[in-house]
Amino acid sequence: MSDASTATAVSAQQPVRAASARSRFWMRLFRNPLTVTAAVWVTLLVLAWLWPGLLAPHDPYAGDVTLTRTFEGPSWDHWLGTDGQGRDLYSRVVFGARFAVNSILIATVVAVGLGVPVGLFSGWRGGRADRIVMWINDVLFSLPIVLLAMAVIIVLEPSLPSAMLGVGIAMATRFARLTRALTLSEKEELYVDAARITGLSPSTILRRYIAPNLLPSLIVQIAIISGAVILIGATLSFLGIGAKLDDPDWGVMLARARSDFRFEGIWQIVPAGGALVLTVLAFNLLGDGIRDSLGRDAANSSLTVPRKVALPPVVQLHASSAVLSIRDLAVGFPAAGGMVNRVLSDVSLEVFPGETLGVVGESGSGKSMTMLAALGLTPAPGYLSQGSVSFDGREVTFLPEQEWQEIRGRDIGVIFQEPVAALNPALRVGRQMVQSLLVHTDTSRSQARVRAAELLAEVQVPDPERRLDQYPHELSGGMAQRVGIAMALACEPKLLIADEPTTALDVTVQGQILDLLAEVQRRHEMAVILITHDLGVIADAADRVLVMYAGQVVETAPVSTLFSQPRHPYTRALLDTMPQSHRGHGDLPVIAGVVPSAAAWPDGCRFAPRCEFATDRCRTSVPLLEAIGTDRVRCVRHAEFEFGPPVETTA
Amino acid sequence: MARYIGVRLLAMVPLLFAIAVISFAIAVAMEARGSIAGSVCGEGATIECIAQVERQLGLDDPMPIRFLRWIAGAATGDLGTSLTNESVSVASLIADRIGPTLSIVTYSLVIGVAAGMAMGIVSGVRPGGAADRVLSVVSAALIAAPGFVLAMLLSWWLAVQWGWLSPAGYTRPSESITGWIRSITLPAIGLALPTVALVQRQLRSSMTNALQSRYVLAARARGIRRTSLIAEHALPNAMIPTVTAIGFRAAAALGLTFTVEVVFNINGMGTLLITAIQTRNVTVLQGSMLVVGIVVLVVNLLVDISYGLLNPKVRLES
Ligand code: SF4
Repeated sequence: MSDASTATAVSAQQPVRAASARSRFWMRLFRNPLTVTAAVWVTLLVLAWLWPGLLAPHDPYAGDVTLTRTFEGPSWDHWLGTDGQGRDLYSRVVFGARFAVNSILIATVVAVGLGVPVGLFSGWRGGRADRIVMWINDVLFSLPIVLLAMAVIIVLEPSLPSAMLGVGIAMATRFARLTRALTLSEKEELYVDAARITGLSPSTILRRYIAPNLLPSLIVQIAIISGAVILIGATLSFLGIGAKLDDPDWGVMLARARSDFRFEGIWQIVPAGGALVLTVLAFNLLGDGIRDSLGRDAANSSLTVPRKVALPPVVQLHASSAVLSIRDLAVGFPAAGGMVNRVLSDVSLEVFPGETLGVVGESGSGKSMTMLAALGLTPAPGYLSQGSVSFDGREVTFLPEQEWQEIRGRDIGVIFQEPVAALNPALRVGRQMVQSLLVHTDTSRSQARVRAAELLAEVQVPDPERRLDQYPHELSGGMAQRVGIAMALACEPKLLIADEPTTALDVTVQGQILDLLAEVQRRHEMAVILITHDLGVIADAADRVLVMYAGQVVETAPVSTLFSQPRHPYTRALLDTMPQSHRGHGDLPVIAGVVPSAAAWPDGCRFAPRCEFATDRCRTSVPLLEAIGTDRVRCVRHAEFEFGPPVETTA
Repeated sequence: MARYIGVRLLAMVPLLFAIAVISFAIAVAMEARGSIAGSVCGEGATIECIAQVERQLGLDDPMPIRFLRWIAGAATGDLGTSLTNESVSVASLIADRIGPTLSIVTYSLVIGVAAGMAMGIVSGVRPGGAADRVLSVVSAALIAAPGFVLAMLLSWWLAVQWGWLSPAGYTRPSESITGWIRSITLPAIGLALPTVALVQRQLRSSMTNALQSRYVLAARARGIRRTSLIAEHALPNAMIPTVTAIGFRAAAALGLTFTVEVVFNINGMGTLLITAIQTRNVTVLQGSMLVVGIVVLVVNLLVDISYGLLNPKVRLES
């Protein structure tokens, strides 16, 4: 345990002042230089569409009558050279913007005009009408867009507008899907809130509830399809079934370049090809930019190795019989403006062979993070910023991943909450178990399978052979948790970390699982860290308890002391919420509010905003973890309190 | 699995019918816009020519009869004869042209999916890393560039300038296997480049998600090695959405082969369709649309099957 007098408290970062959602959107959009460049290009495109004459020095249709100035390279007169008829390529590229923007306009109007009403109708009506409409939609969606465009061209006549009509119909399927999904989810909400729906006409509902949610998605989708529309238009023109053969359309220009370029070199495809690629790129980047600015930031992969930071040399020697010993651990997450949010600070704990250490706290208190950090599994972009961890007398704080792999699963077993999610949905149970056994033991595949069945039998899974051939989704929660436990115990670990092993299981299964763990523990002298928010589980299974709040340890004590004589107001508040201590009528008391996020932790006592005993002193001075015998408590007023066992409230 | 495939096959029947109706309806719509016989026979249309075309199309009969006759013929492989050359059957025309198109599409998918998966895995394992940033820029460029422009550049450099591969034409595999591969390599690469980008993007994001999942964390906590985490745990799950994306791309690639066929002077379905559109050759159009539609259906079926193979939930609960 850390020496209380040297413990330093770390104040969390103040959150960046929240800007309004709209201005944040624009800020994010224009922070990305690529998006800005793309926006500039699209603006130029629109200018060329409106007033091509302003940008183009020559007539795009007028060739050189003498046919002497054909296939020229770039020159002062002709910035991008001339084509086979002596026409100015730069001017033709500028006028090509007309065809590109017109294509987008026709296709978008058709796609939105058809797709949105269809999606609204389908989503709103539901039932059979919805199924039929969506079936037709999916058929069209699975056909190649070029083919649909061809069908329309065949029926009408080869021209760019008829091609774009076809493209629009094809793209309408996407808008129909999008609109339907949004309508469905909005409808759910409206029906839940029945008051909102009565007396409102469908058009009001549409205008007031659905349109505002639909609009951002529509804009992103339009930006994204614009690139595709231009590409398809150019493709059809290139094939000779889009724009007319004389038109300065980029696709037509490329078709000309294609028939000429074997003789005249590669230059002919550059102006139109470049304009096409840059325009499509611009729309794609703009679409990505808008989507990213509306959505959340891309997260990092869990495989990213925690960043190493310069730490002072570790001075303490972990010379004790503890299986796991954590000292002064802190974990930081990079925050806006080069700041760091320390989601854990000054966390110290020890657990001894055969002992069960209970770790309690509401969600957000840092229990699970402590365990992940101790196992070298700090989720990126978080990193250990302070402290040391030793396992079985060995310093493991910055152990290389390869050495960690030897320890994890063999000497330390972990049981995760949400047992089904902790199993790979694509792999059979047996394969996952065999794989773990093969990593740590010297057995053959068939021996490992036999062992896997034994392990399942040990945790009372009926018919283990059959279970091995099942997929996780075929298991019940309780069964999946038993599989998780069997895997965690496979190599008879010295330490078992059980993170909410019984949450989401029904009460009888809960009891069975806890009994099972206790039995294995007795047999192997295994140390157990039991993480839970359920004090009932702690009372049943733990020897010592560590209470966490907002990334700090606030109290440690033997289980009997903690229940009979809690010292920290948070512990007392937790005890009051236990169903066992509440035999009266009325609602179970809860602690008002939630654990604030790391960016919002107060400077003084982190519990102060929710503590019924908070005074001004609590808000200014930082409570340290003080020792009382072998117990610890973090509260500036703890000496003043004398909490008894949880009161039996009467309503 | 057999049951799952059976269900998928049954689901294809109405789709097949829909495609047949659309293909047939194209001709009906064309008639409504003017005499087909007149435009096929040209300016100085002889009475014989017009009579012959009308006989070929059976224009005198009522619509449902014509549809049934057409569909019955199609079922036995008889799609009528070309309107511009009565001695050539539509079926033989298509049989002649579909080989190059399917060769190029399949070849391009193999190259595109292989390269895209490799890139997507590298990107997804460490998003935001140096390799990912480079690959993402490459993808963005490839998505923006139409396959036929890339194909033109490739044919210029690799075929015309350096003489490595054949710049044009198609060699049948029955004539020479190496010649066949040489003749379709460039078109296939041109068509594959956008596929690479699409697969890379999809796999990058689904790989990133899979690696952040609880089951990967749990596997890591059991000491499972990094290569196994990526290949055995994350990849099969990340491939599920990727297969869907590949399916859409396969269908789109079928439409886009037409452009590389033009670039490389290959007589495939694309050139057949385009000539038929320009000459209003109705029987050829109907037949080609039907065949291309069926190929799309088969592609979708293959995608559904691989989806089921990857996703036990779908396979077992069908
Ligand atoms: S320091 Fe003050 S606010 Fe914090 S727990 Fe103790 S009494 Fe409550």
